[in-house]
Amino acid sequence: MLDIRRISTSRWWHKKKNWMLFSIFLFLVFVRISKGSIYKDFYFFISRPFWPGQFQKEVILESLDQESSIKLNLLKKDNIRLRKMLYLQESSTSDNISAAVISRKTGSWWRQIILNKGSKDGVEIGSTVIGPGGLLGRVRSTSFFTSSVILLTSPDSKLGVWVDRIQTNGLLIGSGDDYPKLILYSKSADIKVGDFVSSSPASTLLPPNIPIGIVQSVDEPFKAKKTAKILLLAKPQVIDWVQILKSKN
Amino acid sequence: MNKFLKKKISIICFVFIPIIFLWHPSWLGFLGIQPYWPLFWLLPMSMIHGSIKGLIFGLFLGLILDSVTLESNFTQIPGLILCGIWFGRIKIYADSLVGHFRYGLICSFGSFLCGTLYFLQILFKNFSDSSLLFFIPSVQNIIAQVFLTGFFAPLICSQLLKFFKYSREKTSIINFEKN
Repeated sequence: MLDIRRISTSRWWHKKKNWMLFSIFLFLVFVRISKGSIYKDFYFFISRPFWPGQFQKEVILESLDQESSIKLNLLKKDNIRLRKMLYLQESSTSDNISAAVISRKTGSWWRQIILNKGSKDGVEIGSTVIGPGGLLGRVRSTSFFTSSVILLTSPDSKLGVWVDRIQTNGLLIGSGDDYPKLILYSKSADIKVGDFVSSSPASTLLPPNIPIGIVQSVDEPFKAKKTAKILLLAKPQVIDWVQILKSKN
Repeated sequence: MNKFLKKKISIICFVFIPIIFLWHPSWLGFLGIQPYWPLFWLLPMSMIHGSIKGLIFGLFLGLILDSVTLESNFTQIPGLILCGIWFGRIKIYADSLVGHFRYGLICSFGSFLCGTLYFLQILFKNFSDSSLLFFIPSVQNIIAQVFLTGFFAPLICSQLLKFFKYSREKTSIINFEKN
């Protein structure tokens, strides 16, 4: 009788320790099946007080800015050296004229801005006008005190541009709305949404590599042409101050 | 001075059309588009002076507006001349309430005519490129402009017509006294 009692108490399910081990095993199986999501979420909450603070973020951003500016300077030097070697037009920032927008027509078909600097300040017809973000247009006419700029969105505006990713030249034409159209004269051009468009390095009208916009949508190819809608980086509707780059012609 | 202003109010308004055209008050716009300002002056002037003078006023307006806009390839003259001739054939009614609505409708149609003629020039010029690209934004421009012009015309045109008629009567009385 005594023997029977001893055997029954020695069964494994009678031991609390075994149940604990089994529970942990089940939990680990669940964690495995859920690909560690519970564990990761748990870690998210317990590590929160130790995340990098605002100060650390600023330090990192400042370092990144410094790194970018150093890289930019090196690339500028390289660019000038290579352009000299290839006898291409130089981009210069030394001859800029700051001007305020005194009239703005950015709706309907007439898309132009009038600036408060004219021929007396040295503004010439054909000068490039840039604003925060990139290219706005070109000076079409000047008076003694003012200069009129035809915007990229005007139906009268046509410019040669460069799509950097696919290394292709295209034609940017204003269509009377806020989104000029890019025409690529190749049906097979691999243009994609998000591609960056800048002024063409081969252009004789504009300084090279001025940012213009980003491809917003690409239309279906039509008659050996591919067209895309461009979102301009510089917004003429809101810009109050611009820079006039003196014409090289 | 006051007499001079009253007498020459039509010329003063004519001078201010390109200024308001350039000013482009965004708070009066819709979808970034403005009413077609020159029609507000052209309608009362042509109604008072007739078709031939309407044609001349249209030509003058077109010339001055073409000079302040930069599009050298397109012109507003044909639309404004046609509007000037048409507006000159419209009689002035005594019923001011009906007149108000008529001004709105007439200016809307005039704006549609001018807009369409301008659009046709753009299409013709860019025929070799993708002309379809211009179609949707241009239709949007025309519709917004027609709506806004028709919306503001009853208010502005009736006031201007009153001023111009008054100034013309004053001038004719002065001339009659001189004779």
